[in-house]
Amino acid sequence: MKYRLLPFNFTRFKEKEVLVNELGDLLVSPRGTVERIINHEDIDAELYKSLVANYFLYEGDIPGTLDIYASRLKTKKSFLGAGTALHIFVLTLRCNQNCIYCQASSRAAENKHCSMSIESMDAAVKLMFKSKSEYLTMEFQGGEPSLEPGLIRYGIELAEQINLQEKRHLTYVLCTNCVNLTDEVLELCKRYNIVISTSLDGPKFIHNHNRGQDSSYDRVTKGIEIAREELGKDRVSALMTTSTFGVHYPIEIVNEYVRLGFNSIFLRALNPYGLATQNDNWDEYTDQFITFYKTAFEHILDINKAGKFFMEEYAVILLRKILTPFTTGFVDLQSPAGILNSVIVYNYDGNVYASDESRMLAEFNDYTFKLGKVTDSYEDLFFGEKARAFAKVWSNECLAGCSDCPVRPYCGADPVRNYSTQGDMYGIRYNSALCKKNKAIIEYLISLLVDREDEVLPIFKSWLS
Amino acid sequence: MRFEWNIESNDNALFVTAQCNNRCIMCCQPPLHQDDIDDLLEKNLKAIDNAPQGIKVVGITGGEPTLLGDKLFILIEKIRSKLPETAIQLLSNGRRFSDSQYAKRMKEVGGDNLFVGIPLHSDYVGDHNLVAGVNGAYDETMLGLYNLNAAGVEIELRVVINSINAYRLPLMSEFIYKNLPFVSWVAYMGMEHTGYAIANEKQIWIEPEEYKDSLGEAVKRLADWGMDVAIFNIPLCLLREDARRFSKHSISDWKVRYADCCNACSLKCECCGLFGTSKKEFNGIKAL
Repeated sequence: MKYRLLPFNFTRFKEKEVLVNELGDLLVSPRGTVERIINHEDIDAELYKSLVANYFLYEGDIPGTLDIYASRLKTKKSFLGAGTALHIFVLTLRCNQNCIYCQASSRAAENKHCSMSIESMDAAVKLMFKSKSEYLTMEFQGGEPSLEPGLIRYGIELAEQINLQEKRHLTYVLCTNCVNLTDEVLELCKRYNIVISTSLDGPKFIHNHNRGQDSSYDRVTKGIEIAREELGKDRVSALMTTSTFGVHYPIEIVNEYVRLGFNSIFLRALNPYGLATQNDNWDEYTDQFITFYKTAFEHILDINKAGKFFMEEYAVILLRKILTPFTTGFVDLQSPAGILNSVIVYNYDGNVYASDESRMLAEFNDYTFKLGKVTDSYEDLFFGEKARAFAKVWSNECLAGCSDCPVRPYCGADPVRNYSTQGDMYGIRYNSALCKKNKAIIEYLISLLVDREDEVLPIFKSWLS
Repeated sequence: MRFEWNIESNDNALFVTAQCNNRCIMCCQPPLHQDDIDDLLEKNLKAIDNAPQGIKVVGITGGEPTLLGDKLFILIEKIRSKLPETAIQLLSNGRRFSDSQYAKRMKEVGGDNLFVGIPLHSDYVGDHNLVAGVNGAYDETMLGLYNLNAAGVEIELRVVINSINAYRLPLMSEFIYKNLPFVSWVAYMGMEHTGYAIANEKQIWIEPEEYKDSLGEAVKRLADWGMDVAIFNIPLCLLREDARRFSKHSISDWKVRYADCCNACSLKCECCGLFGTSKKEFNGIKAL
């Protein structure tokens, strides 16, 4: 049969070749398939049919279903057209904890001047409604945002009032350590259906080590308990960060999340911001984290095989990209990147940043990703000179070292991270720790699908549907 | 021929033309070249005038109903105004809907209580066209499915199992999930041993017992993704045990029959039975 090639990349696992097209559709084939395709040598008839059906090859002069290919690509990139959905409000740098890897440059709780002014909140909420997204999430961060309940109340009430006209779907998230869930905060959460996102790094000895406080674990778990009682179990989620100490305890950390009744865990690596940069051996840490991730993940598979539903959130995001035709809203793995397109940060000092990580750089006097002030116009912030400069380097389709990467459709572009670790927004892939980590995890998940499909696919489907 | 409505029946179907623009090699009602559209339209419009209220579903079938062009909308408008509560089931090869305007029109006229049943014969263009008997059929049907979805029309995707697609069914499930996740449900159908299916028996006939595992796996894959699945026209004794829960009573009342051994079967009353119109029985029928 006469055929032509559509764009795709490929990678090899043992005796298999895994082909990945622009839609993220993946096809497992015997090693040597790509060479045979290119040379128009005979290939297995059923494999040939699969290659045509799944947009690797096409017959005729143009693909007969090109419009469908386009429609599917549009679905995969649908996070783009919608407008910025995640609006992070950094209410304060004040905090009541002292985490060893603090990424947010927190200040002691007494420092009142490190909080957002009412005027800034006012302007920021109005900017949020300039986004054309039907869905708007107001995420309150810090420091510890629960130290500023008045600001939360003011911001939400203003948003609700504006929304009487705008009629968007509003969601509120409070990122809190759960230590300070006062009656006032809980009442706000109840009234406005605020979702609580808290931080728990694992069992007591790890969590307290990371927090630099002996009492933290008890206070946080007590706070989680109270929040669940008051708000309902499904309105409280937790995130963990893998410290250089915790990286040695994958099983213990997973088990702690199971024990506390969570049905998922997000295995997150440290990122190189704030105090976390004092950990300077990134290569070693990255290798340790990859091992940590795989060990924890195998344990999670065992938990599922034993009949308990328990997800790993990072894998869920990646698997949604690998196995389904749908998009994800996860801002760290997008191309074009999540900055501006999906997320914007209004900082406590009235400045606007491209992302959470951008404002962390600013705490070290690097204002590369500062877009302006909340009083600036939406157009100047989102389409200004800086935004245009970012746009040149925010698509991995156009970045050397990414464009020909076999797992590129599952990954994202991250100019902020490139800049902060390599001093250059464009970035260099071959020695990038982020690239190494993402590629290792994506290829690990694909290798599970290739080698152990019968075992893992039912579990993955249960996570995704 | 005067149309008889039967309020108890699941098979009140209006036959709108014997013409078709596909030449499916297993067609159970081979198409005819005759200018029958206007005569049948007139009869069908009259039949709708005489229809009793309370009919749950009215089918529109052929041939290929969309060959009526805009006249099909006259019929559907009539059903909508006379029988506002009745669901309309339009059986089509979907090709005409590759014109997005036609798809939009169908939604405007048919409203929310209309669905279109469209067969997809393979995930591979060459096999689909081979079964449909027309080059280019696959591209038009696929685009038609997309246009109908964009217009907001409900779709039943039909897979009639034959020897050409039987062993690709699990792969086709993955294709359907990735490319057609919007269909309301996927219906797998056993072939009737009648019409072209007899003439082309060597090329396309396959016994359900031969594709039992392939079908079981295909159905499981779609169901695992949370998609609605149904199996029609295949008796329970020829389905893998885990696939039996997807079986539906589907054979038109007047066509259904059971084999002698079915009387001893404990699942007879849950089983769809056999086609009375088939010229031979499936192999391997047994009491469960």
